[in-house]
Amino acid sequence: MQTDRKRGAETQAPDADYGVPPGPGVHCRAVSLLTLSAVTKRYPGVTALNAVDLTVEAGAVHAVVGENGAGKSTLLKIVAGAERPDAGEIRWEGAPVTLASPREALRRGITVIYQELALVPALGADANIFLGMERARGGVLAADAMREAAAQALAELGLVIDPTRPVAQLSVAQRQLVELARALVRDARLVALDEPTATLTAHEVAHLAAQIARLTAKGIAVIFVSHRLDEVRRLASRITVLRDGRRVWTGRTSEVDEAALIRHMVGRDVAYRRHPAGRAPDPTPLFDVHGLTRAPAFHDVSFSLRRGEIVGVAGLVGAGRTEIARALAGIEPWTTGNVTLAGEPYRPRSPRDAIARGLAYLPEDRQRDGLVLRFTVRENITLPVLRRFAARGRIRRAAETVAARAAATAVDLRPSPPDVERPAVDLSGGNQQKVVMAKWLLTDARIVMFDEPTRGVDVGAKVELHRLIRALADEGKAVLLISSELPELLALADRVLVVRAGRIVGELAGEAFTPEAVMALAVEAG
Amino acid sequence: MKRDWTARYAVVVALLVLCTGAALFAPGFLTLGNLTTILLHVSVNAILALGMTFVIVTGGIDLSVGSLIGLAGVLAAGTLTASGTLAAVGVGGATLLAVLVGTGAGAAVGAANGALTAYGRIAPFVVTLATMTIARGAARLVTGGVPIGFPPTGDPAFAQKSAALDALHAIGGGRIPVPGLERGFPVPALIMLALVAAGAFVLTRTRYGRYVYAIGGNEEAARLSGVPVQRVKLGAYAISGGCAGLAAILLVGQLRSAGPDAGLLYELNAIAAAVIGGASLLGGVGTAWGALVGALLIGVLNNGLDLLGVQSFWQEIAKGAIILLAVTFDVWTKRGHHHA
Repeated sequence: MQTDRKRGAETQAPDADYGVPPGPGVHCRAVSLLTLSAVTKRYPGVTALNAVDLTVEAGAVHAVVGENGAGKSTLLKIVAGAERPDAGEIRWEGAPVTLASPREALRRGITVIYQELALVPALGADANIFLGMERARGGVLAADAMREAAAQALAELGLVIDPTRPVAQLSVAQRQLVELARALVRDARLVALDEPTATLTAHEVAHLAAQIARLTAKGIAVIFVSHRLDEVRRLASRITVLRDGRRVWTGRTSEVDEAALIRHMVGRDVAYRRHPAGRAPDPTPLFDVHGLTRAPAFHDVSFSLRRGEIVGVAGLVGAGRTEIARALAGIEPWTTGNVTLAGEPYRPRSPRDAIARGLAYLPEDRQRDGLVLRFTVRENITLPVLRRFAARGRIRRAAETVAARAAATAVDLRPSPPDVERPAVDLSGGNQQKVVMAKWLLTDARIVMFDEPTRGVDVGAKVELHRLIRALADEGKAVLLISSELPELLALADRVLVVRAGRIVGELAGEAFTPEAVMALAVEAG
Repeated sequence: MKRDWTARYAVVVALLVLCTGAALFAPGFLTLGNLTTILLHVSVNAILALGMTFVIVTGGIDLSVGSLIGLAGVLAAGTLTASGTLAAVGVGGATLLAVLVGTGAGAAVGAANGALTAYGRIAPFVVTLATMTIARGAARLVTGGVPIGFPPTGDPAFAQKSAALDALHAIGGGRIPVPGLERGFPVPALIMLALVAAGAFVLTRTRYGRYVYAIGGNEEAARLSGVPVQRVKLGAYAISGGCAGLAAILLVGQLRSAGPDAGLLYELNAIAAAVIGGASLLGGVGTAWGALVGALLIGVLNNGLDLLGVQSFWQEIAKGAIILLAVTFDVWTKRGHHHA
């Protein structure tokens, strides 16, 4: 597998293979592509990385796993040249280097693809792929040549699109491939991916996995940061586990099972276990959706929710699940359809309306839609119900604090007892999600719609969030749970609606509710 | 909303440093008379900056306030000196009416700004740029380009009109006798302090204020939380316009005359004061007291340089430098916190 690609610095010949087959006794055979030794990075008040070692081999996938705050992002930033370590050594092909800036890392062939993709939405895929390294003659862009090269790189990754299409019009999975194409065009030798599958559906993950395999076949090294252990185990040959800024384990994938990985990550035993219902659902529906349509997002969507029940919604990203939920939450309109809530007609004109009727929607992107990051935990939690604490417009701070504290305690915000005066921006992903939950719990909603509630949340917090979601249903709320993670739906949902291309194509419950059945419905006619 | 101690009080410290410097080097700076004069001179800009802060915290900008000073001023002065009004409601009534017309006109144009921004979804920079132009044109149209002010000697209602202007002058140029203060305490400064205190209360203690910060911090999250985003924004622009209207009254009262070109470029001074006082043009950050401190900083700088006999051109350069310093410091203190 190990090939050393050596290129002339300015060579641009397409498909030229300058690979030098390593002969016997060639010393660089044993040299790793990238080696971090005892790398330490401190921020005010926290040691993000503490003497971490990492060795990445050409042509192999090295996964880095760990809970939120374990130091994965910091590690990637150091690899990308975006941050400089306070101590430790970085070697590139055996020689010590300083990666002083992203530009320098790029020059050496290191590309880091962040979760929040670094693309310019209004520009085409071609312009994005060549951003910062445009081909030009005398200052005039060689647009045709770049467009062709971009199309070729994209096609190589299995994406056949008009390369001039603005990136804003592409799906998340497609944008990711644009980033990968950028790495290819740059002749990257190491590609690091931060949570690349977080927003992808199983189908798209499979495609991405195939592309990653293609990269390694070309001798490119891949660092793969993820929360999804099944994918990590499928894709990576070696795994490094970080916990609290320290490297706690490194080894071959074959040497470790999922339970052991989780133990390393959290330092304790946790697993996704089934959360059984504490009560039977009501016999009659509380919320009845009939024929809901807004072309082209969704068509003829009908389902009902009962108190005490968790209804899962599965489907590929872009299938229209979020759009349905957002329409019901009063964020966007629908054109036709009848919805009743407790027997009364329901058609919210705004999120404010929906909240007043007892419907809560927890958006999938909590940083963008769920929280005011600058606000404290208290200010975030009470935002939807501020009226309750306001006497003629003036906020009664004491009552507000009491309520915020109670809600934060109810969702088990850490550290316990919760500090509600901390700014939300300082919290981990799991704690931020708990704040969002606390905020909506306080609205006393009868219907709670979760959209990817545990995305980007570490394993320990995930299990707690699951417990909280089940507790809501047991309290008698009707719960809708949109999730791209099948294990999550299996652990929580009483039945699952499968959405494909804006339509509900099936409902599964009991024995019939298996991952395979869900995927079959979500992907093709099943 | 939470800000670090250094970031929070740096402007106050800067103001104190500036005052100390002025006290040491500028003769006559550290007298009660001079200090109250500074408060008087600062009051119009501070009131504009207060309203501007509401708008800036929502993430917007209001370029129309300078022109609104002109428009609200001539409308108020026109109302005050119209023979019909004076005959109908007398001097006292006309004065009250003038105050209401001026403030109301400002608030109305502000509300229009807010409506176009919030409901029409037009960028506030563009909306208020347009109303800035329109308001200035309207002010010139109303007056025919000449100031409304002291009546000509042959005017049949001369006595009443000058009495009305005197009444308004009691607001804009009046002094409240204070023991130990030779010339008393200027009324506009008192109004400014009261308004800033009220603004601070609204921003920090009321539901409306919380919504203003929520919208500036994350408009989408605020909307999804049921915050009436459009209404709150409209309110912020109306407050800014209302502040401009009130500032216009003070200016007219002070000068006993309303020129259509009054308040030219005042919007930039107001933005400068708000920003020096810690407001961020990205929204979500800014305080009422900060607006006052920012305005005071500019006022003290101008006054100190005046006393030192420095050319006004240099004063402008110094003011620009202070803005850059304030913003650079702000960015610098925030960077220290920013980590993964």
